[in-house]
Amino acid sequence: MPETKRDVVLEINKVYKSFDDLEVLKGITMEVKRGEVVAVIGPSGGGKSTLLRCATTLEKVDAGKIVIGGDVLCEDGVYCDKKLEKQIRSKFGLVFQNFNLFPHFSVRRNITEALIHVHKKSKEESEIICSQLLAKMDLTEKADAYPCNLSGGQQQRVSIARALATNPEIIFFDEPTSALDPELTKGVLNVIKELAKEKMTMVIVTHEMSFARDVADRIIFMDGGVIVEEGPAYELVTNPKQERTKAFLAGY
Amino acid sequence: MGSLQSTLIQLLQGFKFTFGIFFFTLIFSIPLGLLVSKGRMSKIKIVSLIFQLYISILRGTPLMLQLLLVYFGPYYIFGVNLGSIQLGPFNYRFIATIVAFSLNYAAYFAEIFRGGIQSMSKGQYEAATVLGFSKMQTYFKIILPQVVKRVLPSVSNEIITLVKDTSLAQVLSVTEMFTKASAAASAQVSVIPFIVAGAFYYVTNLIIEQILNRVEKSMSYYS
Repeated sequence: MPETKRDVVLEINKVYKSFDDLEVLKGITMEVKRGEVVAVIGPSGGGKSTLLRCATTLEKVDAGKIVIGGDVLCEDGVYCDKKLEKQIRSKFGLVFQNFNLFPHFSVRRNITEALIHVHKKSKEESEIICSQLLAKMDLTEKADAYPCNLSGGQQQRVSIARALATNPEIIFFDEPTSALDPELTKGVLNVIKELAKEKMTMVIVTHEMSFARDVADRIIFMDGGVIVEEGPAYELVTNPKQERTKAFLAGY
Repeated sequence: MGSLQSTLIQLLQGFKFTFGIFFFTLIFSIPLGLLVSKGRMSKIKIVSLIFQLYISILRGTPLMLQLLLVYFGPYYIFGVNLGSIQLGPFNYRFIATIVAFSLNYAAYFAEIFRGGIQSMSKGQYEAATVLGFSKMQTYFKIILPQVVKRVLPSVSNEIITLVKDTSLAQVLSVTEMFTKASAAASAQVSVIPFIVAGAFYYVTNLIIEQILNRVEKSMSYYS
Protein backbone atom coordinates (compact mmCIF):
# COMPACT_ATOMS: atom_id res chain seq x y z
CA MET A 1 0.00 0.00 0.00
CA PRO A 2 2.47 2.77 0.94
CA GLU A 3 4.84 3.43 -1.89
CA THR A 4 7.67 4.24 0.47
CA LYS A 5 9.27 1.74 2.77
CA ARG A 6 9.35 2.64 6.45
CA ASP A 7 12.89 1.61 7.12
CA VAL A 8 14.21 3.64 4.22
CA VAL A 9 15.06 7.20 5.26
CA LEU A 10 16.38 8.40 1.93
CA GLU A 11 15.36 7.21 -1.47
CA ILE A 12 16.87 8.66 -4.61
CA ASN A 13 15.58 7.30 -7.87
CA LYS A 14 16.97 8.01 -11.35
CA VAL A 15 17.98 11.55 -10.53
CA TYR A 16 19.33 13.73 -13.32
CA LYS A 17 20.85 17.18 -12.97
CA SER A 18 22.56 19.47 -15.46
CA PHE A 19 24.17 22.87 -15.13
CA ASP A 20 23.62 24.46 -18.53
CA ASP A 21 25.19 21.97 -20.93
CA LEU A 22 27.07 20.03 -18.30
CA GLU A 23 25.29 16.93 -17.11
CA VAL A 24 26.46 16.34 -13.56
CA LEU A 25 24.12 13.59 -12.40
CA LYS A 26 23.19 10.95 -14.94
CA GLY A 27 20.53 8.85 -13.33
CA ILE A 28 21.54 8.26 -9.74
CA THR A 29 19.60 5.66 -7.76
CA MET A 30 20.36 4.93 -4.12
CA GLU A 31 18.73 4.16 -0.82
CA VAL A 32 19.72 4.74 2.78
CA LYS A 33 18.12 2.64 5.48
CA ARG A 34 17.44 3.79 9.00
CA GLY A 35 20.58 3.60 11.12
CA GLU A 36 22.80 3.11 8.13
CA VAL A 37 26.01 5.05 7.49
CA VAL A 38 26.77 5.53 3.82
CA ALA A 39 29.98 7.11 2.58
CA VAL A 40 30.09 8.64 -0.88
CA ILE A 41 33.55 8.75 -2.38
CA GLY A 42 35.00 9.59 -5.75
CA PRO A 43 37.07 12.15 -7.62
CA SER A 44 36.26 15.84 -7.54
CA GLY A 45 33.75 16.82 -10.19
CA GLY A 46 32.21 13.37 -10.09
CA GLY A 47 28.88 14.66 -8.81
CA LYS A 48 29.10 13.74 -5.10
CA SER A 49 28.49 17.22 -3.78
CA THR A 50 25.78 17.94 -6.33
CA LEU A 51 23.99 14.77 -5.28
CA LEU A 52 24.13 15.90 -1.67
CA ARG A 53 22.94 19.37 -2.59
CA CYS A 54 20.01 17.92 -4.50
CA ALA A 55 19.07 15.71 -1.56
CA THR A 56 19.17 18.72 0.77
CA THR A 57 17.00 20.99 -1.45
CA LEU A 58 19.88 23.35 -2.25
CA GLU A 59 19.73 22.34 -5.90
CA LYS A 60 16.72 21.29 -7.90
CA VAL A 61 16.91 18.08 -9.90
CA ASP A 62 15.85 17.99 -13.56
CA ALA A 63 14.30 14.55 -13.39
CA GLY A 64 13.89 11.72 -10.93
CA LYS A 65 12.47 11.17 -7.49
CA ILE A 66 13.68 12.00 -4.01
CA VAL A 67 11.94 10.74 -0.87
CA ILE A 68 13.11 11.78 2.59
CA GLY A 69 11.62 10.26 5.72
CA GLY A 70 8.62 9.04 3.75
CA ASP A 71 7.82 12.44 2.26
CA VAL A 72 8.16 12.87 -1.48
CA LEU A 73 10.32 15.92 -2.16
CA CYS A 74 10.09 15.53 -5.90
CA GLU A 75 8.85 13.05 -8.44
CA ASP A 76 9.69 13.13 -12.16
CA GLY A 77 11.48 16.37 -11.40
CA VAL A 78 8.29 18.02 -10.10
CA TYR A 79 8.65 19.41 -6.60
CA CYS A 80 6.20 19.25 -3.72
CA ASP A 81 4.61 22.44 -2.36
CA LYS A 82 6.53 24.85 -0.13
CA LYS A 83 4.81 23.66 3.01
CA LEU A 84 5.85 20.06 2.58
CA GLU A 85 9.31 21.17 1.49
CA LYS A 86 9.68 23.03 4.77
CA GLN A 87 8.51 19.96 6.65
CA ILE A 88 11.03 17.82 4.78
CA ARG A 89 13.79 20.27 5.69
CA SER A 90 13.14 19.57 9.34
CA LYS A 91 13.80 15.89 8.72
CA PHE A 92 17.43 16.22 7.75
CA GLY A 93 20.51 18.11 8.83
CA LEU A 94 23.41 19.23 6.69
CA VAL A 95 27.00 19.79 7.74
CA PHE A 96 28.98 21.92 5.31
CA GLN A 97 32.60 21.68 4.34
CA ASN A 98 33.25 25.25 5.49
CA PHE A 99 30.88 25.11 8.49
CA ASN A 100 28.74 28.12 7.54
CA LEU A 101 28.10 29.02 11.14
CA PHE A 102 26.41 32.37 11.71
CA PRO A 103 29.33 34.58 12.77
CA HIS A 104 27.21 37.18 14.55
CA PHE A 105 25.59 34.59 16.83
CA SER A 106 27.20 32.96 19.84
CA VAL A 107 27.71 29.20 19.73
CA ARG A 108 24.57 28.80 21.84
CA ARG A 109 22.47 30.96 19.55
CA ASN A 110 23.78 29.20 16.45
CA ILE A 111 22.28 26.04 17.87
CA THR A 112 19.10 27.37 19.45
CA GLU A 113 17.98 29.93 16.86
CA ALA A 114 16.27 27.44 14.55
CA LEU A 115 14.81 25.52 17.49
CA ILE A 116 13.14 28.66 18.79
CA HIS A 117 12.15 30.39 15.57
CA VAL A 118 11.54 27.49 13.20
CA HIS A 119 10.54 24.64 15.49
CA LYS A 120 8.79 26.95 17.97
CA LYS A 121 10.33 25.38 21.02
CA SER A 122 10.61 27.40 24.22
CA LYS A 123 13.86 29.14 25.02
CA GLU A 124 14.37 26.95 28.09
CA GLU A 125 13.83 23.72 26.20
CA SER A 126 16.09 24.88 23.37
CA GLU A 127 18.87 25.71 25.80
CA ILE A 128 18.62 22.33 27.45
CA ILE A 129 18.95 20.65 24.04
CA CYS A 130 21.88 22.96 23.29
CA SER A 131 23.70 22.16 26.55
CA GLN A 132 23.32 18.44 25.99
CA LEU A 133 24.70 18.69 22.48
CA LEU A 134 27.59 20.89 23.52
CA ALA A 135 28.48 18.44 26.28
CA LYS A 136 28.47 15.67 23.71
CA MET A 137 30.74 17.72 21.43
CA ASP A 138 33.01 18.51 24.37
CA LEU A 139 32.34 22.23 23.89
CA THR A 140 30.39 23.09 27.03
CA GLU A 141 32.71 25.93 27.98
CA LYS A 142 32.36 27.48 24.51
CA ALA A 143 28.62 28.13 24.69
CA ASP A 144 29.04 31.90 24.86
CA ALA A 145 31.98 32.13 22.48
CA TYR A 146 31.64 33.37 18.92
CA PRO A 147 32.63 31.21 15.94
CA CYS A 148 35.58 33.48 15.08
CA ASN A 149 37.18 32.55 18.40
CA LEU A 150 37.00 28.81 17.79
CA SER A 151 39.36 26.51 15.92
CA GLY A 152 38.13 24.98 12.67
CA GLY A 153 37.56 21.66 14.41
CA GLN A 154 35.51 23.29 17.14
CA GLN A 155 33.51 25.22 14.56
CA GLN A 156 32.75 22.04 12.70
CA ARG A 157 31.63 20.35 15.89
CA VAL A 158 29.33 23.30 16.60
CA SER A 159 27.88 22.94 13.14
CA ILE A 160 27.31 19.24 13.75
CA ALA A 161 25.54 20.15 16.99
CA ARG A 162 23.47 22.70 15.07
CA ALA A 163 22.47 20.03 12.55
CA LEU A 164 21.61 17.57 15.33
CA ALA A 165 19.60 20.06 17.39
CA THR A 166 16.38 19.65 15.45
CA ASN A 167 16.55 15.88 15.93
CA PRO A 168 16.69 15.01 12.23
CA GLU A 169 16.14 11.54 10.81
CA ILE A 170 19.24 11.77 8.67
CA ILE A 171 22.35 13.91 8.56
CA PHE A 172 24.31 14.74 5.43
CA PHE A 173 27.98 15.64 5.64
CA ASP A 174 29.59 17.43 2.72
CA GLU A 175 33.33 16.77 3.05
CA PRO A 176 33.21 17.71 6.74
CA THR A 177 36.96 17.60 7.26
CA SER A 178 38.30 18.95 3.98
CA ALA A 179 38.90 22.40 5.49
CA LEU A 180 40.72 21.03 8.53
CA ASP A 181 44.27 20.00 9.29
CA PRO A 182 44.87 16.31 10.25
CA GLU A 183 44.88 17.04 13.97
CA LEU A 184 41.48 18.77 13.92
CA THR A 185 40.14 16.24 11.45
CA LYS A 186 40.53 13.53 14.06
CA GLY A 187 38.28 15.29 16.54
CA VAL A 188 35.52 15.77 14.00
CA LEU A 189 35.76 12.20 12.72
CA ASN A 190 35.54 10.92 16.30
CA VAL A 191 32.29 12.81 16.77
CA ILE A 192 30.90 11.24 13.60
CA LYS A 193 32.07 7.82 14.79
CA GLU A 194 30.17 8.34 18.03
CA LEU A 195 27.05 9.22 16.08
CA ALA A 196 27.48 6.07 14.00
CA LYS A 197 27.60 4.01 17.20
CA GLU A 198 24.32 5.63 18.25
CA LYS A 199 22.83 4.44 14.96
CA MET A 200 22.37 7.90 13.53
CA THR A 201 21.49 7.66 9.84
CA MET A 202 24.21 9.45 7.91
CA VAL A 203 25.39 10.13 4.38
CA ILE A 204 28.97 11.32 4.30
CA VAL A 205 30.77 12.69 1.27
CA THR A 206 34.41 12.28 2.14
CA HIS A 207 37.96 11.88 0.95
CA GLU A 208 38.99 10.15 4.20
CA MET A 209 39.23 6.64 2.83
CA SER A 210 40.23 4.82 6.01
CA PHE A 211 37.50 6.63 7.90
CA ALA A 212 34.93 5.62 5.29
CA ARG A 213 36.14 2.03 5.44
CA ASP A 214 35.96 1.87 9.24
CA VAL A 215 32.83 3.83 9.96
CA ALA A 216 30.52 3.45 6.98
CA ASP A 217 28.34 0.41 6.49
CA ARG A 218 28.30 0.96 2.79
CA ILE A 219 30.36 2.95 0.31
CA ILE A 220 29.18 4.43 -2.94
CA PHE A 221 31.85 5.28 -5.49
CA MET A 222 30.76 8.00 -7.90
CA ASP A 223 32.48 9.24 -11.01
CA GLY A 224 31.30 11.03 -14.11
CA GLY A 225 27.81 11.55 -12.71
CA VAL A 226 27.05 7.88 -12.17
CA ILE A 227 27.45 5.37 -9.36
CA VAL A 228 30.31 3.25 -10.61
CA GLU A 229 30.31 0.80 -7.75
CA GLU A 230 28.74 0.32 -4.36
CA GLY A 231 29.03 -2.25 -1.66
CA PRO A 232 29.90 -3.02 1.95
CA ALA A 233 32.53 -0.52 3.06
CA TYR A 234 35.37 -2.82 3.90
CA GLU A 235 34.92 -4.94 0.83
CA LEU A 236 34.73 -2.02 -1.58
CA VAL A 237 37.89 -0.42 -0.24
CA THR A 238 39.95 -3.59 0.02
CA ASN A 239 38.62 -5.42 -2.98
CA PRO A 240 37.07 -3.10 -5.58
CA LYS A 241 35.55 -4.77 -8.62
CA GLN A 242 35.57 -1.96 -11.18
CA GLU A 243 38.75 -0.77 -12.86
CA ARG A 244 37.76 2.86 -12.27
CA THR A 245 37.35 2.23 -8.55
CA LYS A 246 40.67 0.43 -8.37
CA ALA A 247 42.44 3.29 -10.09
CA PHE A 248 40.87 5.84 -7.75
CA LEU A 249 41.65 3.90 -4.59
CA ALA A 250 45.20 3.26 -5.72
CA GLY A 251 45.77 6.99 -5.24
CA TYR A 252 45.25 6.62 -1.45
CA MET B 1 30.29 91.69 20.89
CA GLY B 2 26.60 92.06 20.20
CA SER B 3 27.14 91.02 16.61
CA LEU B 4 28.71 87.67 17.53
CA GLN B 5 25.81 86.94 19.83
CA SER B 6 23.26 87.78 17.16
CA THR B 7 25.25 85.73 14.66
CA LEU B 8 25.10 82.75 17.01
CA ILE B 9 21.37 83.16 17.46
CA GLN B 10 20.78 83.39 13.72
CA LEU B 11 22.93 80.37 13.01
CA LEU B 12 21.22 78.35 15.70
CA GLN B 13 17.88 79.18 14.11
CA GLY B 14 19.30 77.97 10.83
CA PHE B 15 20.72 74.87 12.48
CA LYS B 16 17.19 73.65 13.21
CA PHE B 17 16.62 73.36 9.47
CA THR B 18 20.07 71.94 8.83
CA PHE B 19 19.43 69.24 11.37
CA GLY B 20 15.92 68.71 10.01
CA ILE B 21 17.21 68.13 6.49
CA PHE B 22 19.88 65.79 7.85
CA PHE B 23 17.50 63.84 10.04
CA PHE B 24 14.64 63.38 7.60
CA THR B 25 16.96 62.57 4.72
CA LEU B 26 18.50 59.73 6.73
CA ILE B 27 15.10 58.45 7.86
CA PHE B 28 13.85 58.26 4.28
CA SER B 29 16.93 57.54 2.22
CA ILE B 30 18.17 54.49 4.12
CA PRO B 31 15.00 52.37 3.71
CA LEU B 32 14.60 53.73 0.19
CA GLY B 33 18.21 52.81 -0.55
CA LEU B 34 17.54 49.29 0.68
CA LEU B 35 14.58 49.03 -1.70
CA VAL B 36 16.57 50.46 -4.60
CA SER B 37 19.39 47.98 -3.96
CA LYS B 38 16.81 45.17 -3.99
CA GLY B 39 15.48 46.46 -7.31
CA ARG B 40 18.98 46.82 -8.68
CA MET B 41 19.69 43.18 -7.78
CA SER B 42 16.40 41.93 -9.21
CA LYS B 43 16.64 38.86 -11.40
CA ILE B 44 14.12 40.47 -13.74
CA LYS B 45 16.32 42.23 -16.28
CA ILE B 46 14.06 45.19 -16.96
CA VAL B 47 13.54 45.95 -13.25
CA SER B 48 17.26 45.80 -12.63
CA LEU B 49 17.88 48.09 -15.61
CA ILE B 50 15.38 50.68 -14.40
CA PHE B 51 17.02 50.87 -11.00
CA GLN B 52 20.46 50.94 -12.58
CA LEU B 53 19.34 53.94 -14.61
CA TYR B 54 17.92 55.59 -11.49
CA ILE B 55 21.20 55.18 -9.64
CA SER B 56 23.22 56.32 -12.64
CA ILE B 57 21.25 59.53 -13.12
CA LEU B 58 20.96 60.46 -9.44
CA ARG B 59 24.67 59.92 -8.89
CA GLY B 60 25.68 61.42 -12.22
CA THR B 61 24.03 64.83 -11.92
CA PRO B 62 24.54 67.60 -9.36
CA LEU B 63 22.43 67.44 -6.23
CA MET B 64 21.88 71.18 -6.59
CA LEU B 65 20.28 70.61 -9.99
CA GLN B 66 18.10 67.85 -8.53
CA LEU B 67 16.95 70.20 -5.79
CA LEU B 68 15.92 72.82 -8.34
CA LEU B 69 14.20 70.21 -10.50
CA VAL B 70 12.17 68.78 -7.63
CA TYR B 71 11.20 72.26 -6.50
CA PHE B 72 10.36 73.87 -9.84
CA GLY B 73 9.60 70.75 -11.88
CA PRO B 74 5.97 70.27 -10.87
CA TYR B 75 5.08 73.83 -11.88
CA TYR B 76 7.23 74.30 -14.97
CA ILE B 77 6.62 70.86 -16.43
CA PHE B 78 3.08 70.03 -15.30
CA GLY B 79 1.75 73.44 -14.37
CA VAL B 80 0.92 72.15 -10.91
CA ASN B 81 1.42 74.73 -8.21
CA LEU B 82 2.46 73.05 -5.00
CA GLY B 83 3.82 76.22 -3.44
CA SER B 84 1.06 76.47 -0.89
CA ILE B 85 1.52 72.97 0.50
CA GLN B 86 2.15 72.84 4.21
CA LEU B 87 2.71 69.62 6.16
CA GLY B 88 2.60 70.56 9.82
CA PRO B 89 5.52 72.94 10.34
CA PHE B 90 7.05 72.09 6.96
CA ASN B 91 6.49 74.23 3.88
CA TYR B 92 6.91 73.18 0.28
CA ARG B 93 10.50 74.41 0.11
CA PHE B 94 11.50 72.17 2.95
CA ILE B 95 9.54 69.19 1.67
CA ALA B 96 11.07 69.52 -1.81
CA THR B 97 14.50 69.64 -0.19
CA ILE B 98 13.87 66.44 1.75
CA VAL B 99 12.49 64.72 -1.36
CA ALA B 100 15.49 65.65 -3.49
CA PHE B 101 18.01 64.76 -0.79
CA SER B 102 16.33 61.44 -0.05
CA LEU B 103 16.17 60.42 -3.70
CA ASN B 104 19.80 61.36 -4.17
CA TYR B 105 21.16 59.72 -1.05
CA ALA B 106 19.09 56.59 -1.64
CA ALA B 107 21.07 56.07 -4.87
CA TYR B 108 24.36 56.15 -2.99
CA PHE B 109 23.09 54.02 -0.12
CA ALA B 110 21.66 51.50 -2.60
CA GLU B 111 25.09 50.83 -4.07
CA ILE B 112 26.67 50.56 -0.64
CA PHE B 113 24.00 48.09 0.47
CA ARG B 114 24.34 46.13 -2.74
CA GLY B 115 28.05 45.78 -2.12
CA GLY B 116 27.36 44.59 1.42
CA ILE B 117 24.65 42.13 0.46
CA GLN B 118 26.64 40.67 -2.43
CA SER B 119 29.67 40.21 -0.23
CA MET B 120 27.74 37.74 1.92
CA SER B 121 28.73 34.17 1.23
CA LYS B 122 26.18 31.88 -0.37
CA GLY B 123 26.81 29.50 2.50
CA GLN B 124 25.00 31.76 4.94
CA TYR B 125 21.84 31.58 2.86
CA GLU B 126 22.23 27.85 2.40
CA ALA B 127 22.77 27.15 6.09
CA ALA B 128 19.68 29.22 6.90
CA THR B 129 17.61 27.50 4.22
CA VAL B 130 18.53 24.02 5.38
CA LEU B 131 17.73 24.94 8.99
CA GLY B 132 14.25 25.88 7.84
CA PHE B 133 14.37 29.67 8.19
CA SER B 134 11.94 31.49 5.93
CA LYS B 135 13.21 34.03 3.41
CA MET B 136 12.19 36.89 5.71
CA GLN B 137 13.85 35.33 8.74
CA THR B 138 17.00 34.65 6.76
CA TYR B 139 17.11 38.24 5.57
CA PHE B 140 16.39 39.95 8.86
CA LYS B 141 18.11 37.57 11.29
CA ILE B 142 21.07 36.28 9.35
CA ILE B 143 21.92 38.54 6.43
CA LEU B 144 21.00 42.11 7.37
CA PRO B 145 22.82 42.21 10.74
CA GLN B 146 26.01 41.09 9.04
CA VAL B 147 25.51 43.51 6.17
CA VAL B 148 25.07 46.41 8.60
CA LYS B 149 28.46 45.67 10.08
CA ARG B 150 30.10 45.46 6.69
CA VAL B 151 28.62 48.65 5.26
CA LEU B 152 28.92 50.82 8.34
CA PRO B 153 32.24 52.48 7.39
CA SER B 154 30.89 53.46 3.96
CA VAL B 155 27.55 54.55 5.39
CA SER B 156 29.42 56.68 7.94
CA ASN B 157 31.11 58.47 5.06
CA GLU B 158 27.76 59.29 3.50
CA ILE B 159 26.27 60.46 6.79
CA ILE B 160 29.12 62.87 7.37
CA THR B 161 28.93 64.14 3.79
CA LEU B 162 25.20 64.65 4.25
CA VAL B 163 25.75 67.05 7.16
CA LYS B 164 27.79 69.28 4.86
CA ASP B 165 25.55 68.80 1.81
CA THR B 166 22.61 70.29 3.71
CA SER B 167 24.14 73.64 2.81
CA LEU B 168 23.00 73.06 -0.78
CA ALA B 169 19.44 73.72 0.35
CA GLN B 170 20.48 77.35 0.07
CA VAL B 171 19.49 77.27 -3.62
CA LEU B 172 15.87 76.82 -2.57
CA SER B 173 16.20 79.60 0.00
CA VAL B 174 15.61 77.18 2.84
CA THR B 175 16.77 79.14 5.86
CA GLU B 176 19.25 76.52 6.98
CA MET B 177 22.49 77.40 8.67
CA PHE B 178 24.54 78.15 5.58
CA THR B 179 21.90 80.52 4.18
CA LYS B 180 21.88 82.31 7.51
CA ALA B 181 25.66 82.49 7.60
CA SER B 182 25.81 83.99 4.10
CA ALA B 183 23.23 86.59 5.03
CA ALA B 184 25.01 87.48 8.25
CA ALA B 185 28.37 87.66 6.48
CA SER B 186 27.19 90.16 3.91
CA ALA B 187 25.26 92.19 6.48
CA GLN B 188 28.29 92.43 8.76
CA VAL B 189 30.88 92.56 5.97
CA SER B 190 32.80 89.91 7.90
CA VAL B 191 33.90 86.30 7.55
CA ILE B 192 33.18 85.57 11.21
CA PRO B 193 29.72 84.10 10.46
CA PHE B 194 31.31 81.66 8.01
CA ILE B 195 33.90 80.61 10.56
CA VAL B 196 31.24 80.12 13.21
CA ALA B 197 29.13 78.12 10.75
CA GLY B 198 32.18 76.02 9.92
CA ALA B 199 32.64 75.32 13.62
CA PHE B 200 29.00 74.24 13.88
CA TYR B 201 29.36 71.81 10.99
CA TYR B 202 32.57 70.45 12.39
CA VAL B 203 31.28 69.94 15.92
CA THR B 204 28.14 68.27 14.57
CA ASN B 205 30.25 65.85 12.58
CA LEU B 206 32.59 65.29 15.50
CA ILE B 207 29.63 64.15 17.58
CA ILE B 208 28.29 61.98 14.76
CA GLU B 209 31.74 60.45 14.31
CA GLN B 210 31.88 59.53 17.99
CA ILE B 211 28.44 57.92 17.84
CA LEU B 212 29.33 55.95 14.70
CA ASN B 213 32.60 54.80 16.25
CA ARG B 214 30.67 53.49 19.20
CA VAL B 215 28.20 51.67 17.01
CA GLU B 216 31.07 50.13 15.08
CA LYS B 217 32.74 49.05 18.29
CA SER B 218 29.53 47.47 19.53
CA MET B 219 29.64 45.19 16.50
CA SER B 220 33.30 44.27 16.77
CA TYR B 221 32.65 41.22 18.94
CA TYR B 222 32.79 39.06 15.83
CA SER B 223 34.66 39.14 12.57
